[in-house]
Amino acid sequence: MTDSPPVKQRRRDSYKYYILKQKIVPYMFLLPNLLIFGLFIITPAIIGIYFSFTLFRGLGDTPVFNGLDNYRTLFGDQGFRDAMRNTIFLVAATLPIVFFSSLMLALLLAQPLRAKAFWRATYYWPVMISFIVVGLIWQWILRDSRGLLNGLVVTLGFERLQTLLNPRFAWWSVVFVFTWSRAGYYMIMFLAALLSVPVSLYEAAEIDGANRLQRFLYVTYPVLKPARTMVFILAAMEIFKIYPLVVSFTAGGPFRATVFTVQYIYETAFQYRQVGLASAMSVIMILFVMVFSGVNMYLAKRGGEV
Amino acid sequence: MRRHRTPWFTYPLAVFFAAFFLIPVIYAVMSAFKPVAELRLIVPTFFPRSLTLDNFRSAWNAVPHFPTVLFNTFLVAVSSTALAVTINTMSGYALAKFRFKGDTLILMIILATIMLPLEVIMVPIFRVLRFFGMYNSLWALIIPPAATPAGIFLMRQFLLTIPNDLIESARIDGASEWKIFYKIIVPNAKPAIATIAIFSFMWRWNDYIWPLIAISSPRKYTLQLAIATFQGQYQTDWSSLLATSAISMIPMLIIFLIFQRQFVQGTVETGMKG
Repeated sequence: MTDSPPVKQRRRDSYKYYILKQKIVPYMFLLPNLLIFGLFIITPAIIGIYFSFTLFRGLGDTPVFNGLDNYRTLFGDQGFRDAMRNTIFLVAATLPIVFFSSLMLALLLAQPLRAKAFWRATYYWPVMISFIVVGLIWQWILRDSRGLLNGLVVTLGFERLQTLLNPRFAWWSVVFVFTWSRAGYYMIMFLAALLSVPVSLYEAAEIDGANRLQRFLYVTYPVLKPARTMVFILAAMEIFKIYPLVVSFTAGGPFRATVFTVQYIYETAFQYRQVGLASAMSVIMILFVMVFSGVNMYLAKRGGEV
Repeated sequence: MRRHRTPWFTYPLAVFFAAFFLIPVIYAVMSAFKPVAELRLIVPTFFPRSLTLDNFRSAWNAVPHFPTVLFNTFLVAVSSTALAVTINTMSGYALAKFRFKGDTLILMIILATIMLPLEVIMVPIFRVLRFFGMYNSLWALIIPPAATPAGIFLMRQFLLTIPNDLIESARIDGASEWKIFYKIIVPNAKPAIATIAIFSFMWRWNDYIWPLIAISSPRKYTLQLAIATFQGQYQTDWSSLLATSAISMIPMLIIFLIFQRQFVQGTVETGMKG
């Protein structure tokens, strides 16, 4: 009885120690990841916001606070306005095309086809190719002289086209090549959602005498809602930050017709060394992306869960 | 699914799309084997009239430090993937199997970083890398990109399905937390680990933005950066460009043919690029 308190004490101590240790354990497991996020994503994001309020020329320079000057300059910057407008138009043009192509591919593969895995693999394959190489391949095919497209046009006896030297053609080529490169990816998301539609829903619709189109409109399309929202937001973000694809495809030309925001920010920072200004542009761009995603998620939520 | 009759145009359409997605790549790869004279024809040939490996030889000589660049790309892709798998599994485990202060907040922050495109914080990242002495070092391509929000999220979702009893009984047996992690969690997480590994390898192999921000000397280039830079300088050297592009696609093709199922699965589960 006399030596029981110390034992109890020790036991309680080790229990306390154990609880404490258990509390620290999850943080230890998270540490490496959080360290990297903190240092290389969150810190730069915060520093970037600060830079946007400074006069900061050249990457070896020290930033000097100058308030909203950069934002004022930026609204008068014709180049930035053009790049921003160009990007928004690109999103507006590409998003519906990517959206419906990938949905169509998914609907095709949801049919009881033979060799389904083969078709799926061929449609998905361009996703595996880097944007740099995708850009090169398509430049090789579409370039004005000696390209495959013009070769085909001439062989068929038509007048040769002005292709990547024509601003309008080049711009729509970016839309096309992006779609070619990414449709397979979004197709998979739609496909997964399609295959999860309960068969009983279709059977019920069929008993009610719904035809193929009606079954799609009233059964399939509503069920696809979460997938639709996800594809919409992810694809929009990808188009917003388009750059590597353009680098090797048109390099922003001809006559800067395919210069989009990221390229403009990159040039402002690394070629013209206007780091403060470039940071302000980044802030504006992030705001755009956030507002766009936020509005879409809100609309998706308001529409109710399916 | 119940078998409806497929509409008559299903197979023609399937074939059309297969051609649409495959022919450009096949054409570019075949072009890499054409002699230079054939590449310069005003009206190009589709199938090569004669085959040669000259373009690969000229690429090897024309692209600065070609063997080093190839080695860098492999080194970066493999080591960054190893790191990504390790730390993403650890984080996924913590977020799936522990309740602790700030757990939802941390998960939210991790998911929010997906919404922050790397492309718009290029400038400050450049400064941070310089601050840590990582600028122009392959470490900058290995360590920072290894923390992929998509990887963590995928691992968390996967580990939620592992029964807690497994972990609890090991804990009662007196196993240390680290031991529980690598004796119980890791073996059970193999499918998710495989998915993260192949995606991470693809992302690092194809990456252009991180090398563009972090690397300045051609000896440290990775393949994508080397191709883009070379193209910027020698726009017309198509023989080298096509050969290098073909080389850069080979590992991806092999990985894709082996792990096709994981790619499809991973696309569904993560729904995002890292």
